[in-house]
Amino acid sequence: MASDVVTNETGLEVETSTAVAAPIVVENTLWTSSNPQAYMGGAPPQITHLRELELHGDKSDNGRWTALDIIPTKADYVLDLIRLNSLWPLLSGLACCAIEMMSAATSKNDMDRFNMFPFRASPRQADVLIVAGTLTTKMAGPLVRLWEQMPEPKWCVAMGDCTCSGGRYKRSYATVEGIDRIMPVDVYVPGCPPRPEGLIYGLMKLQQLIRERRGHWNERQIGPTVPTGV
Amino acid sequence: MDTTELWIGAQDVTDVMRRLHDDEEFGFELLADICGVDTGSEMWVVYHLYSTLTPDWLRVVAAGLEREDPRVPSVTFLWKGAEWGEREAYDMFGIIFEGNRDLRRIYMPADYVSFPLRKDFLLADDAARSPGEGFRHMEQTHQPAENLRRPVLRNGKLGSGTQVAALGLLPDETEAPPS
Amino acid sequence: MTETTKIRSLDDPDIFVETPATIFDAVPPFPPRSEREAEFYHLRDGEMLINLGPQHPSTHGVLRVVVKIDGEKVVDLDPVLGYLHRGVEKICENGDWHHAISNCDPLEYVASMFSEAMPVLSAEKLLNLQVPRRAEYIRVLCWELNRIASHALFMGWLALDLGGLTPVLWSFIERDEIVEMLAALTGQRLLFNYLRIGGVNRDLNHDFLSRLGDWMSRAGNQIEQGTRLLNENEIFVRRTAGLGVLDRESALRLCMSGPPLRATGVPYDVRRAHPYSVYPELEFDIPTRTEGDSYARYLLHVDEIRESIKIIDQVLHEMPDGPVMAKIPRLIRIPPGRAFIAIESPRGQYACYAMSDGSDQPFRLRIHDPSFFNLQAVGALMPGNLIADTMAIMASLDPVMGGIDK
Repeated sequence: MASDVVTNETGLEVETSTAVAAPIVVENTLWTSSNPQAYMGGAPPQITHLRELELHGDKSDNGRWTALDIIPTKADYVLDLIRLNSLWPLLSGLACCAIEMMSAATSKNDMDRFNMFPFRASPRQADVLIVAGTLTTKMAGPLVRLWEQMPEPKWCVAMGDCTCSGGRYKRSYATVEGIDRIMPVDVYVPGCPPRPEGLIYGLMKLQQLIRERRGHWNERQIGPTVPTGV
Repeated sequence: MDTTELWIGAQDVTDVMRRLHDDEEFGFELLADICGVDTGSEMWVVYHLYSTLTPDWLRVVAAGLEREDPRVPSVTFLWKGAEWGEREAYDMFGIIFEGNRDLRRIYMPADYVSFPLRKDFLLADDAARSPGEGFRHMEQTHQPAENLRRPVLRNGKLGSGTQVAALGLLPDETEAPPS
Repeated sequence: MTETTKIRSLDDPDIFVETPATIFDAVPPFPPRSEREAEFYHLRDGEMLINLGPQHPSTHGVLRVVVKIDGEKVVDLDPVLGYLHRGVEKICENGDWHHAISNCDPLEYVASMFSEAMPVLSAEKLLNLQVPRRAEYIRVLCWELNRIASHALFMGWLALDLGGLTPVLWSFIERDEIVEMLAALTGQRLLFNYLRIGGVNRDLNHDFLSRLGDWMSRAGNQIEQGTRLLNENEIFVRRTAGLGVLDRESALRLCMSGPPLRATGVPYDVRRAHPYSVYPELEFDIPTRTEGDSYARYLLHVDEIRESIKIIDQVLHEMPDGPVMAKIPRLIRIPPGRAFIAIESPRGQYACYAMSDGSDQPFRLRIHDPSFFNLQAVGALMPGNLIADTMAIMASLDPVMGGIDK
């Protein structure tokens, strides 16, 4: 049937490339540590993709304190441990994933065990922005404003398919195809909606990120991580 | 059809609705739904009314609204709750309800220019698939934006002045590509 | 495409000016776009506008309410919707009838069996399809389970908006049990995608039935325990009784349906007024109350949970054997027609007006969500109350933004 065959009747010169777009690295000028040794002295991170770290790096999948953590060598290491063990999320449930986020926060799947329960209503008091639910173009403005109102250090978790890539609403005229088009994302939790255990796994990955200082906010990568042309 | 339908013109809406609502022998007190329809050649506004005297709904269709300037009297003088329904029909189709005190956009942002549910408003990647080719086209992998073909309306005619949804992040292709 | 898309930095202030992704009218628009807007944004002496923004702790989703207050008292309010408008109807028009099932799921994400039923029941009505009886009973079972889960959530959220943190935890325990048993049946906790045109996806299995039996044996007690927290709670009663009183005439003029309408005394329940599925064969009452305040709406939800448990009991006893899916072709081409179906969802009359043009795609799938029309009541109920009561009133109307914004 003709519909099965891909044709290019427009006659345009098209160059379909599936390479990953080079991310735009933006220096963070909002906050710098006064300690020149902080965050490896401002050196660029050696590893940019999580999969490479998983191949070569530390295998432990949580933020548990080991002996090496209790005997810190640098004060910032302790600060990171403190931060990852008390991540306060912002109450920003948009749609269906919010129900699963609430489910993850309540008794049966308790996020409070991981010290993540106090959902702060005000962005000024929150650490993590768990974007749960479809982001529409009308809501994108308030969401970016919320993100900018959160003080550093802050992280972002994209929960659900709609925030990772647009999900089932990728064709729609009114949604943003993935929040990484407008804000930097640290952890993507796919699923429609992800199970509460999945969200907790994503948050533990975030804790691991913080501990390994891969999620440090010295340099943010803003921009689409989807291949060009998609 | 499944329920009794009443087909009226746009100018009769006020009288017919008032009669249906106020008369005891009709007693259609409950407005179950109000929506707009774009049939491609004209626009309709469809009301569904319910009365305790009849077991089923009455569908009132105000048909024959022109696609370029659809105007219909508002029923908010009878049912205050129809206000938002009419706002939605305005937002999605551009149907002007005369007498609605609050006719502004309800879903789309205030400065949006298009009316999304109209048949000449195509989704961005919709131009690459023409409807009626069977459901297998939905199973194809997502085509890159460069493969946009010329948009085709359902009745086979080419659309002129089509509005392709542009989020500002996709290439802006509102004119016909050179062929 | 030879040019890659350039994304601007977040520090660039232009992002709030040009990009359509960041449209946000934070200040009252001038010139006013409608008569009502002009009169609303005209502030008299001592009044001010407060924005209960799209992100606020009341967990109904992204609803923005611009409230005009005089001191602590609310004078007027203007809800702004659309922060969750995903274009579901347009997407449904561009896909198959089967795709519409999973597209309509997130409309009522709290109890999505009801929103799934929209394309399913309308396609069946257009095709004049006879659904096997076992499938009908399974559907009713799932619908009532969803209703209980939704009402449990309503109770939790109503208490949460008033400041009580315990009932929401109990509600989520209740909901988690029901949702896990539905996950054993459908594979998903939330957006089930279980109903099919012609029946349901798969038959009941042992995991689901054992969990259901287990839960049914303690359901009554759990509900009573949960309601004992709130029913006689002095704080709860004093905060909700007499608040947001809606009378019968206003409710009908506002096109409301469901518990807010039945709390005013109108015994309109779609399961009895326009019977569908196997509800005519089941015995249950329609709880109705006459006070019309938030407390009555809350008690009505509790009564409905008890009725649902009764229905589930009957369904389990009378479940017939047989196939769970009618024999229909994979590719459905529905002959041209129009159909209007309505079901009783936990929020009210959930209706769908479907038009088919003979192809395999729906021509128009109009979903009428009850929360959309019920939410207009806040404009009528809130003026005169304090700001703290606005949340109580909104929570008692049980809005879910997925359906309101579609």
